[in-house]
Amino acid sequence: MAEKPALAGRLRLAGPGWIRARVRVRGTEVWAGYLFVLPVFVLYVVFQFGPAVAAFLLSFTNYEVGSNPQLIGLTNYLHLFQDQTFWTSVRVTVTYTLISVPLITLLALGLGLLLSSGLRFLATYRAVFFLPYVTSTVMAALIWLYILDPTNQGLLNATLGAFHIQPIAWLQVPRLVLPALALMSAWKGFGYSMMIFVAGLMSIPHVYAEAADVDGASWTQRFLHVTLPLLRPIFFFVLVIETISSFQVFDAVYVMTSGGPARASFTLVYMLYTQGFEYFNYGYACAVGVMLFLIIFGLSIAQRRLLGGED
Amino acid sequence: MLGSASAPVLGTPRRRRALRRYRNATIAHALLIVMVVLTLIPFAWMLDLAISPPGALALPDPIPHSITLSYFSQAMQATGVARWVLNSAIYSVVSVAASLLLCSMAAYAFAKKRFPGNHVIFWSFVSMLMVPWQLTIVPLYLLIANLNGIDTYWGLILPTVASSQAVFLMRQFILGLPDELFEAAKLDGASELVVFRRIVLPLCVPIMATLGIFIFLFHWNDFFWPLLAAQSENMQTLTVGLATFQARSPNVGELMASTIIGFIPSLVVFMLLQRYIVRSIALSGLTGR
Repeated sequence: MAEKPALAGRLRLAGPGWIRARVRVRGTEVWAGYLFVLPVFVLYVVFQFGPAVAAFLLSFTNYEVGSNPQLIGLTNYLHLFQDQTFWTSVRVTVTYTLISVPLITLLALGLGLLLSSGLRFLATYRAVFFLPYVTSTVMAALIWLYILDPTNQGLLNATLGAFHIQPIAWLQVPRLVLPALALMSAWKGFGYSMMIFVAGLMSIPHVYAEAADVDGASWTQRFLHVTLPLLRPIFFFVLVIETISSFQVFDAVYVMTSGGPARASFTLVYMLYTQGFEYFNYGYACAVGVMLFLIIFGLSIAQRRLLGGED
Repeated sequence: MLGSASAPVLGTPRRRRALRRYRNATIAHALLIVMVVLTLIPFAWMLDLAISPPGALALPDPIPHSITLSYFSQAMQATGVARWVLNSAIYSVVSVAASLLLCSMAAYAFAKKRFPGNHVIFWSFVSMLMVPWQLTIVPLYLLIANLNGIDTYWGLILPTVASSQAVFLMRQFILGLPDELFEAAKLDGASELVVFRRIVLPLCVPIMATLGIFIFLFHWNDFFWPLLAAQSENMQTLTVGLATFQARSPNVGELMASTIIGFIPSLVVFMLLQRYIVRSIALSGLTGR
């Protein structure tokens, strides 16, 4: 009985001090945490999150250069849905995506398969195929402008001319301009997805291929029934990043075609650029941006579904 | 009959398999070499145009009759490529340095510090990865214009420093480092800044190298934002300079020579740091699965 108060007293003495020490440690940790995050957080809020929110808000206003923004509700969106150029830009962007994504994915997958089959000189091949990716789109577009030159001074037309084919104005014919742009971006971009495929293919354990070999599977059977199913997640990943980046195509259009001929290469982001920085319809341009966001957001969700529903 | 007759010629099954593998490898190399040539042709064409004086090319023969380097000196003197390269270098190098430093600080805090809101702030960062940055471009331009930041280096650079991707990847990396490293230093009385500088930064060198290359290439090749934020002749970056130069329908040789000069820095970065690039792409692909 005599011990009890003493113990209680000691505990009472020890208690607050122990708590204070813990709080002090937690306190510096909390402050350090906030201070370390602060610079990036401020930049992020001011230059990314803020402008993103502002874009949504501005899309509900009639903000133009030299006027004060006024709320006009959904008017921009209603205009957009009746705007022929908007639907043109959607059609152009989707068509471009449907040409460029299969082209680039097949190119990347084919070369990825060749490179991962255990050949020599892998590093050299890989370096060469990655070289176009290191160039800027502007630079690639400039080179291709002189490859696709409409006269017989262009490399492609000169080559075709050797086979007595008349010069073709690749970038001036509405039906050819998107395939020509897609060819250019396939050249510039396939190296990146190819490297992802190579990494994916090399991470597939050898035992699967050996087991298929022992069972007497042909190369095609092995590819269709062993490699491709195992590669599925990476295949979808590549498909999604390539789709998203082709929905954002701008640099090549700006340099090579300015959206022409007759708006045949007038993509969504190019429309955003002309509305925002040629006509200075800021509110309207933001509405185009929101539509772009919704499309890309939808694609990301679709990716989640496709990948999530798998295992 | 035929099968049994040819068997001794072709040898054992093992030998036959070796032959088949040899044949397959030859086909694969042939295909790859064709693709290598196709990949390199645009580069060769660029060089061709940059060194051919007027009238020296008689297409379809791609070999010029005579060679000149005068387009390169014109590009350096008259065109102003040197200035564009300088601007691009400032844009890229400052962005890489600022981005790596500030993003690694944030990543360290997100990974190893417990503070209220840690997860909320981190995931709000990551959520920006779903937002196409073109959405923000009009408000961003108006903001920088209102702050008189158009045609200044800070107006060009500051908006590109906070990279969600860099923060995300570095946080994942730091999460994998053992806590004991930081605890031990703190028990020795090291301050938070010392722990960061002496322990976190050195450990992060590999991931920073990979990220740094990508941030560098992104800025060196960036076009849309510099097109808006760096318009005056003195401020134009390489991509903007080349694009506006092309729009004035210049001499092709001079344009291509300028393009080659502008390509050299990315080429050097690529050559020197190739293995980091390979590793980082493998990383991004494997995290995507």
